[in-house]
Formats: sequence, structure tokens, C-alpha cells
Amino acid sequence: MFDKPLRAATTNVSDPVISAENLRHSYDRRHFALDGVSFTVRRGEVFGLLGRNGAGKSTLIKAMTTLIQPTSGTLRILGMDPAHDGKRIRSRIGVVQQGESFDFTTVQKNFDVYGMLWGIPKAESRRRRELLLTKFGLTDIRKRRAFDISGGQKRRVQVAREFMHDMEVLFLDEPTVGLDVIMRRTLLDSVREEVRRGLTVVFTTHNLEEADYLCDRAAVIDEGRILILDSIENLKQQYGGKKTIDLTVGNGDPTRFFAALTERLGSVASVTTKGHSAVILATDPKDALSKIAELSQSLGVQLDWLNVRQNTLEDVFLRSVGHGGETLAAP
Amino acid sequence: MPLPNLLRLVYRNILVNTDPGSLVILVGLPGLYLVFFGFGFQSVASSGGSGNSYLAYLTPGIMSFQVVMAGSVGGSMLWADRRWGMLSQLLTGPFTRLQYLFGIMLTSILFGLGGSAIMLGVAYALLGTIPGQPLALGIIFATITLGSIFFGALMLYLAALVKSNTAYNSIQILLLFVVNFASTVFYPLSSGLPVVLKVLFQVNPLTYVANAVRGAYSGTLNVTDLYEVFLLGAEVAVVLFLATRAYMRSDVSYE
Repeated sequence: MFDKPLRAATTNVSDPVISAENLRHSYDRRHFALDGVSFTVRRGEVFGLLGRNGAGKSTLIKAMTTLIQPTSGTLRILGMDPAHDGKRIRSRIGVVQQGESFDFTTVQKNFDVYGMLWGIPKAESRRRRELLLTKFGLTDIRKRRAFDISGGQKRRVQVAREFMHDMEVLFLDEPTVGLDVIMRRTLLDSVREEVRRGLTVVFTTHNLEEADYLCDRAAVIDEGRILILDSIENLKQQYGGKKTIDLTVGNGDPTRFFAALTERLGSVASVTTKGHSAVILATDPKDALSKIAELSQSLGVQLDWLNVRQNTLEDVFLRSVGHGGETLAAP
Repeated sequence: MPLPNLLRLVYRNILVNTDPGSLVILVGLPGLYLVFFGFGFQSVASSGGSGNSYLAYLTPGIMSFQVVMAGSVGGSMLWADRRWGMLSQLLTGPFTRLQYLFGIMLTSILFGLGGSAIMLGVAYALLGTIPGQPLALGIIFATITLGSIFFGALMLYLAALVKSNTAYNSIQILLLFVVNFASTVFYPLSSGLPVVLKVLFQVNPLTYVANAVRGAYSGTLNVTDLYEVFLLGAEVAVVLFLATRAYMRSDVSYE
């Protein structure tokens, strides 16, 4: 975002920026919020953490940002151990928390105080503040108290404020919640711009379109475990098949129709049903469509909805966490 | 050159806590006590050994009262930072937990010293005289510093332990009431007090602060006052230890 970083990166370029091995964390000594998590994050990549509420994403972010000490396992951030080098790590990372974090003062003063806290010289801090206020559309609300502005504006302030200081790794814990489409894109593009300049980003989100847009690789995390980890393209290819067919049965017996359909499609497609609807992941969608048409005619079933689409990350996510209905057959 | 971390945190605490509303409460309330009580009780209150004016008696008491206000600011800062996410935000920045804690303590001390200096100014405006000897002023401000640390640590201890905002505020109001009125801030320890109240007066650290400040202010400082200051010092060490331990063990992470 800024022409001259105040601090230069000091870690060897080839080293992973983050490495976690068999990381476990329990808040109550009975249940594990993290249960054997292992992964690495490379320099300059955007690494996505996808998962439901309570899956362990925020716990993992807290461990990586030194807010909590993992119960066991090995964690290295920028080659350092958070248990011993917390302060040195924190001086080289940026964090946008999931919850609000503001000083009880105006938007502008929040930027100024944050710049001062990070030791940014006054003139430079002012320059950055003005640039960020403009870039994130906050100039009109600069004199308003941070707690009096709308939820989306608060989120923008929080994200923009983090760019007041230089960093090597940025942790974004669901940064786009409450943002409208334009601001969401502005934020994601700003992050992309920084990534091109060498920033490494760890990004948690519920919004899989965003992960698709921003992330190089992603891990799907559930019940404290990483279920899958791969590049976004590979995830969509390997776990999603090539095309998704959504259909909804109007008149007729959906159970009989779906059972017959599963049998006819055989191993070339998987059928996941929920009530009157089904999601079919097919390697040959033309063939699947013709079989659907034949069967619906022969069984007297009327289809209310039929749609063929490219697989999205959402399909990958739903399949990997085993959500979305009963899977009748696997490809 | 950027300020050291601790001073940056103190500067931030002052910047975000010195809005007009907070200042009115911090300085205005004790100032109002001084004016209203000082003149209002003049006719009924007997002198506590500082000449014939109740205002002259009350002034060092209200200066001492500033340590409680300063402590309350310290506890509220921790509570607010935790409630509004700034604690975890700061602790994912280039600061340690201890730096944050001592940042609050130092801010409390500054508020205590600043508030009592303002009260001294108000007293000068009302009475036309205040102590000018360096030794007296030194003792006054050293005692105020100790008192600010004590009450700052006490409120931090409370803020670190209590999980709900309502509970914290209720305990704080009750505690401040007992501490303020079971002390020699507003009136001297009278022999006619019930035993329980008498004991409360005597073990109340604010009494030690008020006695020492009043002694130095009026030139009547005695060995008992100094003994109480040493006792206050020991209590500061204990409460500071407890507060630091509770704070270090408390959950600072956001949800």
C-alpha cells in the first residue's frame, strides 16, 4: 500500500512463513478446539482457512498471533517460536480480529493513535491515514466516534487501520463481514495489491466466493482438524468433480426418482439429496442430463428446477464437512 | 525517534481517556466535593486540626480522594479495552502483557498526580494559600503516587477477575463508596464510631493516604502518619502482585 516500507523483511525467502505441526489446543482440558493441525504457509501466498462457526479457525488464528499458547505441537511464525519470541513475531505481523476493536474516540484519532502505537513517524502516519481514509471511503466519517458508525463502516475502519503499519504477515479473521459488495471488493483488491508486494496473508472466511477470489491455497477445517488442504483450483477439481447439477422435484415421488437416478448414473456421478432437492456432481453433465430427462419422463416426475453450473468452493466445502444431505453415491 | 513501548501505551491511554466527558468526571466531581462540602459543611463541621476552616481540612482529603479516582480509571481502562477488543488488538501488536499492565498503572499515577495538583490549584483559588515547602509537596505527591498504584492495582485486580460489566460496575460503586466514606478524607476518625467502622477506617489504605497528605499539607506530619505510609507501601506490593497474577492469568483473547 505504501511506497517505502519502514521495515524490511528479514526471514529467508525460501523458508515457510508459518509452519504448524500436530497443533492441539484445549480450553477446558477435555475438548480440543485444535486437534492435530499441520500445515505450512509460504511467503507471499494467501492462505485461506474455511470452516463453520466453532470449527477452530479463530483458535488457530489466536495461536498464530500469540494470543494463546497451543496445548501441544510445534508452531513457527517467521521462523520463531511464539512461546519465546512473541514480541518479535508481533512486531512483524498485522491482525484484523473477528470482533470489534476500537479506541473510544473518533475514526481519525483511531488511525492516529494506532500509527503512534506502532511507532510510525507523525508525518508519515498522517500521510498513511489520509491515503487509507480515501481508499476505504472513510473521509466523510472521520470526525465521528468509531462506536457510532455502522457495522460495515466499523469493519472498514478496522481493516484500513491495520494498514497503518508495515508487516510481513497479515491475519484477517473474517474481515468482510458486514461489508457491501463494493467495499468487499475494494478490501480484497487492497489485500491482493499487498500480496503482489510480498505480503503473506492468512484469511478466514465463511464466504467461499471470497476465498475463491483471493486465496492461493485453502484448508477446510472442522472440529479442530484440517480435512483438506490444497490449491483452490485443485480443491475444486479433485473434490468437486467438474459440473454440478441442481434439481428440485415438483410433482412425483422424489425418493423413488432419486434412487433410480443414483442407480442409472452409477459411478460417474454422486447424488446428494435433501427432501425434494438433489445436487449431482457429474463428470459428464450431458450424459447425466439426458438420464435425468429419461427418468423423469418414465417415472412421471415433474422437475421444478434444473440448473447446471461450474463447481464452486462451496461444493467442496459442503462435501468435505459432510454437510448438505445424504450422499447416495460417490464418484 | 519513536517513544519506548511503555510510554506509547501511556500516551494512548491518556489520549483516549481525556475526552471532555471523562475529564468532567475525573476532575469535576472531586472539585465539586471540595466546593460543595467545603462550604456546605463549614457551619456544622468542627475542624480536624487544620485551623478553623473545614475547607482547609477537606482539601488534602480531596487531593487524596484523587487516588481512588485514578484507580478507578485504571480498572475501567482494562475493562473497556477488554470489552471493546483493544486489549487483544494491542497484545497482537508489539507490546507485552506486562507493558500493557504497567502502562495502565503509570497512567493511573499520572491521573492521580494531575488530579491532586488540580485540586491544589482549586484550593489555592478558594483559600488563597497552599503549602509551598518542597519537602511537604514531595511527601504529598509521593503518597499520592503510592495511593494511585494501590488503587490502580486493586481495580485492575477486580477488572481481571470479574467477567460481567454490570458486576464490575456494581462492585466498583460499592467499593468506592466504602473506601471513600470509611476514611479520613471527609472527616477525622472519631472516638464515637462503632467498632466495625473504626476498624474499617483504620485498615483503609485511603486513610493512610489522607493522613499523610493532610499531615504534610498542614505541617502536622507525625510518626504514625509515616508508619502508615510504610504500611501502604507493603500493601501496594501485595495488591500489585495479586493484580499482576490475576491479569496475567486472565483471558485477553477476543471472541
